[in-house]
Amino acid sequence: MDTKTKNQKAVKDAPAATLESTAEMLRAPAAAPLVPMPLEVLVPEARQQTPAVRQRAQRPDCRLHGLGQTKYIDDMYLPGMLYAKIKRAGVASAKIISIDTSEAEAMPGVVAVITGKDVPCNTFGPSLKDQPVLADSRVFHAGDGVAAVAAITEQIAADAVEKIKVEYEILRPVVDPLESLQLETPGLHAPNPNIYGRKIIKKGDIEKGFAESDHIFEASFRTQMVEHVPLEPHASLATWDANGRVTIYSTLGRITLGRADVARTLAMPMSRVRIIATIVGGNFGGKNEITTEPVVALLAKKTGRPVKCTFTRPEEFISSTTRHPLIMDYKTGVTRQGRILARKIRLVLDGGAYCSWSETTLGKACILSAGPYNIDNLLAEAYVVYTNKTMTGAMRGFGAPQVCFAYESHMDDMAKALNIDPLEMRLRNVLEEGSLSPTSQKLHSVVIKESLIQAAERFGWNANGNGAAA
Amino acid sequence: MATVTMTVNGEKRTASVPPETTLLKLLREELNLTGAKLGCDVGDCGACTVIVDGKSVNSCLMLAGQADGRDILTIEGLATVEHLHPIQQLFEEKGSLQCGFCGPGVIMSAKALLDENPDPSDYEIRDALAGNLCRCTGYTKMIEAIQAVAQAKNNPAARKSA
Repeated sequence: MDTKTKNQKAVKDAPAATLESTAEMLRAPAAAPLVPMPLEVLVPEARQQTPAVRQRAQRPDCRLHGLGQTKYIDDMYLPGMLYAKIKRAGVASAKIISIDTSEAEAMPGVVAVITGKDVPCNTFGPSLKDQPVLADSRVFHAGDGVAAVAAITEQIAADAVEKIKVEYEILRPVVDPLESLQLETPGLHAPNPNIYGRKIIKKGDIEKGFAESDHIFEASFRTQMVEHVPLEPHASLATWDANGRVTIYSTLGRITLGRADVARTLAMPMSRVRIIATIVGGNFGGKNEITTEPVVALLAKKTGRPVKCTFTRPEEFISSTTRHPLIMDYKTGVTRQGRILARKIRLVLDGGAYCSWSETTLGKACILSAGPYNIDNLLAEAYVVYTNKTMTGAMRGFGAPQVCFAYESHMDDMAKALNIDPLEMRLRNVLEEGSLSPTSQKLHSVVIKESLIQAAERFGWNANGNGAAA
Repeated sequence: MATVTMTVNGEKRTASVPPETTLLKLLREELNLTGAKLGCDVGDCGACTVIVDGKSVNSCLMLAGQADGRDILTIEGLATVEHLHPIQQLFEEKGSLQCGFCGPGVIMSAKALLDENPDPSDYEIRDALAGNLCRCTGYTKMIEAIQAVAQAKNNPAARKSA
């Protein structure tokens, strides 16, 4: 029996494994995966549905996880590897007058120091290219990197970062998105305007809708900034080969985009950049863009040695993306029976210092802001603005959870005021088969009503609205 | 430099490290035992949990020097060549490991609990895992797995039919 056949047999037998049969299965050291990685890629036949429902799911990689043998980036070491640390600005808004790295460079154990001036193209971003790898002339939020050190140990690198002296001209930071919304000039992030993204959805005639309404309700909702807090901090490791190609091991979730961004910042053709993603220890949208990758690549190039950089937990909070805080103003006109006739929405997204995935978040939040309800007359306006805070980007749902909190809270408030059962209020308004979405897309397979009724039956919803089981 | 001699997973090991080195750094960088993870470096997340003289410890908060002469068990010391540890086996079967980064720490906390209390209540399991944070898997499947380990140990017949 050749190895391949053996592997396939092990794959087949795997789900039947018990404690008793494990010993037999594991002729190899315990570190061997339960399901050996198949050499032949398993490709399902076209249009064939994988029978997933009611199947037990066992991750093929969980054997190594449980054994502590999975290699995340921070578990990797290459011969001669150096450790990098990044100096954080610590001020929300400032002009950089000078950066003195001489004391750090003179420290024993420090091999190289770089600043923004060493970055061939110091801008990147998924849509707007407004983010520097290392801030060189202007600091836009406290978590901006201003210099980076490579040293023989992490401790020396951290000590060297402390020795870097940066002179700032401190500017007044703008932290309130509503203030940023009003500011005309100078732009917080010139040449980009403060409002760097907007989306407006119009449907029907809201003036007419409000005029026909028996009641008009207004409410404002706010959500806070949320960090993804993946258990594994961002990390990357770069090494150059003799032919001038760079290989970067990274915790990136979007390696193709990361490759384009790295190539841009290093001013190199993409064909010379290789990004290898290993197993990621939690992402949730927070590892969707490059962070330390160009820094380790440049330090590795300067030193001729592999360089690794792992975020500290504080860096994870101040220098990676977060969830957009939203200010959501709702105005809704309803009939006496609780039927929604018109709705006007204004969303203000706090974009933080850089655009990142704001445009995606803005679009999704705006399209979904009316909720799963049939509203003939709708005006939804959404704006995303710069502030001097930690940048906001992708996070689970791209803006959908925030607006859901707003429109459902608003719904409950209106139901209470109208003395209608909150469930009934929703049943009178929800989208149905063939309904048009706020952007006039015809919807199919809509079973909201059926789902709500079934759910209410299952958990014993009563009309008093407390949902207590009978 | 501080010279530390200790028993790690049953073997006597010695390492010479700067005095500020934590037990976690020593295990990961000197002994190449990277199963214990650095998640927060301040004792909040528990990804670095190892067992020192029978007690679960955040190895990021313990200086290597403090581990001198003590008995350390890491995730790498649980399985033998032929057998997974029952906790590892059931974490696998119950789907208790998703991204896996918190897994080694959680398994070590569970091991310390079950060694001390072979039949823990649901509350006692939750209490033992209070120092281990997870962001992907969620705790339910881990608690189920730990309950199943205790059950199998106390009633091997039930385990077979399960």
